[in-house]
Amino acid sequence: MILKIDRAARAIALFAALILLCSAAASAGPSSAAELKVPVEYYKLPNGLRVVLSPDHTSPTICVGVYYRIGFRIEPRDRTGFAHLFEHMMFQGSQNLAKMEFVKLVQQNGGILNGSTRFDFTNYFEVLPANKLETALWAEADRMGGLAVTEENLKNQQGVVGNEVKVNVLNRPYGGFPWLDMPQYANTNWFNAHNFYGDLKDIEAATLTDVQAFFKTYYAPNNAALAIVGDFDAAEAKKFVEKYFGPLKASELPAQPDLTEPRQEKEKRATKNDALAKRPAIALGYHMPERNTPEYYAMCLIDEMLIEGDDSLLHQELVQKRGITGNVQGGINLLGNPWDYKGPMLFITNMIHDPATSADTIVQAIDGAMEPLRTKPVEQKMLDRAVVKLRSDLYDTVGQFSGFGLVDLLASFALFDDNPGRVNTLVSEYQKVTPELVQKTAQEYLRPENRTVLLVQPQPQAPAAAPAAPAKNQ
Amino acid sequence: MIRTRTEKLLLVLGATALTAIPAWGQKQTPPAGGPPKAFTVPAHETYALANGMKVTLIPYGNIPKVTVNLALRAGGLNEPRELLGVANITGELLKEGTSSLSASALAEAAARMGSTLSVSAGADETALDVDVLSEYGPDAVKLLADVVQHPLLPEAELARLKSNQLRQIAVAKSQPGQMALARFRKLMYGDHPYGDVLPTEESIHKMSIEDAKKFYAANYGAGRAHLYVAGKFDVAGVKKAIEAGFSSWAKGSVAIENVPKPKTQRLLDVTDRPGAPQSTVYVGLPVASATSPDNVPLMVTNALLGGSFGSRITSNIREKLGCTYSPNSQISRRYHDAYWLEAADITTDCTGKSLGEIFGEIQRLQKEAPGAAELQGIQSYLSGVFVIQNSSRGALIGQLRYVDLQGLGEDYLKTYVQKVNAVTPADVQKMTTEYIKPEQMTIVVVGDKAKISEQLAPYATTGAANK
Repeated sequence: MILKIDRAARAIALFAALILLCSAAASAGPSSAAELKVPVEYYKLPNGLRVVLSPDHTSPTICVGVYYRIGFRIEPRDRTGFAHLFEHMMFQGSQNLAKMEFVKLVQQNGGILNGSTRFDFTNYFEVLPANKLETALWAEADRMGGLAVTEENLKNQQGVVGNEVKVNVLNRPYGGFPWLDMPQYANTNWFNAHNFYGDLKDIEAATLTDVQAFFKTYYAPNNAALAIVGDFDAAEAKKFVEKYFGPLKASELPAQPDLTEPRQEKEKRATKNDALAKRPAIALGYHMPERNTPEYYAMCLIDEMLIEGDDSLLHQELVQKRGITGNVQGGINLLGNPWDYKGPMLFITNMIHDPATSADTIVQAIDGAMEPLRTKPVEQKMLDRAVVKLRSDLYDTVGQFSGFGLVDLLASFALFDDNPGRVNTLVSEYQKVTPELVQKTAQEYLRPENRTVLLVQPQPQAPAAAPAAPAKNQ
Repeated sequence: MIRTRTEKLLLVLGATALTAIPAWGQKQTPPAGGPPKAFTVPAHETYALANGMKVTLIPYGNIPKVTVNLALRAGGLNEPRELLGVANITGELLKEGTSSLSASALAEAAARMGSTLSVSAGADETALDVDVLSEYGPDAVKLLADVVQHPLLPEAELARLKSNQLRQIAVAKSQPGQMALARFRKLMYGDHPYGDVLPTEESIHKMSIEDAKKFYAANYGAGRAHLYVAGKFDVAGVKKAIEAGFSSWAKGSVAIENVPKPKTQRLLDVTDRPGAPQSTVYVGLPVASATSPDNVPLMVTNALLGGSFGSRITSNIREKLGCTYSPNSQISRRYHDAYWLEAADITTDCTGKSLGEIFGEIQRLQKEAPGAAELQGIQSYLSGVFVIQNSSRGALIGQLRYVDLQGLGEDYLKTYVQKVNAVTPADVQKMTTEYIKPEQMTIVVVGDKAKISEQLAPYATTGAANK
């Protein structure tokens, strides 16, 4: 599946304690500030596999995640949707586990599992009782070692994926809006701008040869990170990792293609006709600063100030004061969180509204609410509130879903930054952000010329309404 | 309908799953792992204030956050027929300020603690929730106490909230899953409040601020409230804040009992959605409620039949036929009420065939008890999932709220795993035969009528399911 995760699922990471300094003075207020630091042990096997261990004995469970650095951005040009179809194939049979047996193995040992395809990685994970760590590592290594899939399996999963696209995109109002649509309109580089879920005809055209070639190219230990979180002993885990993943061979990886997007100099507008929608909707997408730059950290806080929570500027203006919508949505990386991607990204805000309100009215209202961020340094107390909200989201991510949230951070930081320890320093990066930096970032990245405005236009109800098509230029 | 930060935390496990009994032949056998580690449900403390409000404190984990959740026995069940939606509008109004805080001041106060106030009205309960950084536990309690006892319920905001509600209704009515659920519940519950998933536009239009105030006065009170605090927090400080914040809250009226008698009937109900590439199918019937001794055996049966990735129905219509992506069966519960439901979005051409396979799998389980290994696999699965369900502050509150609403008693969580593992193959067969009867199921289909009518014709009457 392509995991679609909303805002809070994006909060991530941990951090070291910034508030230690003021705790002595804070006698009347809260006793001491929240603080979280997770253990991080990081090393690489000779075959290049990145391994991250983070024991936590709160609950007798473990979460194992394997992240491959192949997302849907860089799938083959004539095979849109292939990275995701391939993800499904990873459950269809490996050297020692036939179709259905991987899932059975996890379930029958008391666990749950899933996989997802994102911009810059494809992940596979399972949560199991703590005593089943070796079982999980054996099974993940087995499928990293080789697939044993058949034409029949492929045909079956082409049917399943076709149904996934129908249920998530084609057969529902606002299908693909804005998470699948906006990148296609806002980006110019094919790698960032194609239909990630895939055209049905491309999905149907995939062959077993494509599957094996894709596996051979990208599914190798030197293109992957393994993260283990939960109730385990690190020394024992290392032995299992060595035993099962050690023998796997590294492969020669192709060079990463150029994923860059040019600076956008002119606002773009597009309208998507949606025969199934009953109310119009609008989304604004702004190109983000490059990940891990000072402006990027400032932009994450701008996201908190603009759209996260009922105190946010857009909620106050559009929901509370003007009643334009009931819910301002959006965020950074709608398929994950602000941390688990690598390439170019969009900051998106979107909402459903009534036909009586024009798109221009909404864009003006949004501009009005954003303007103070661009014209003057933000008040320190507002910036402080944004950092608190971000920390709160971050902790939720760390605690999310029996270790999966932490696995996601550790594996992403290992794959993209070669430094999973970033989870413990992340908050300090946000604390460096000044009101002046917020203003400078807003001036460049909240420029009207840097955005794409996408409208969903409900169609007058014809008797035989066709389902909405997902891609642009329909 | 109300989205909050905390709600969004749940990573929904989609569908990437399958099933089959291991048969590894020449292949390597998976390592079995070590001896299992013990698990006990985290300890918690429950007590009542003098005014009857119950309190449960659950110190848990090392994430420096604490969730404060107030569950009130006030929901759709308490709405007058002509005022459907008033529970939700009242809940929304709670966020519009208190006698001491304006709406924006309230939003800022929650944000300074790292949270947003969420209020959600369900069928049986309205829940208020804030999820804050650990050091703000007592302040979060104080905030919730203020919101629930001293709301402004301002008339000036009502028109806006009604517009939001009308917009949500319009959107929900255009979603095939919501359309199917609404039909399914209406057919099953008729005029009982559980039969109305959505308010009517008419009831929203005519709702006045007096209606909301009346609903609040009649249904909000300490005697119907249960406060849950879970996570890492200062227990003494939170207790003190609870006493200070809630002890003067009036007891209010007692919760009403209105357990429905849902219809068990074969009925085929098709809503036309011309051009739809999939049929949204909801098929099910009433089953024993949470208080029945059959509850746990039914849960095991459901997980084996359609309620897990590896279940029989999912293996069949997804992994064999490729006709659907995320089919799922569930036991859906309200207060002392439950139904079994299989829901699936199925490729239009495949609709009749898949329905036949769903019924076929049920009948197979009625005719023949599952093998011991298959059942044991499901029992291990449920035992493992139980640990996961008790391993985060949000999940713990969810579990305890379920136990408390249904009145299952402290024992339920302590004996759950034992009960799951006591279920025999014969029990599963018996549960299927006794409760999951295709010939008595309501079948709701939202899809392209012209293309599916013929496929569905055999299921219009009770006889066909048995062919």
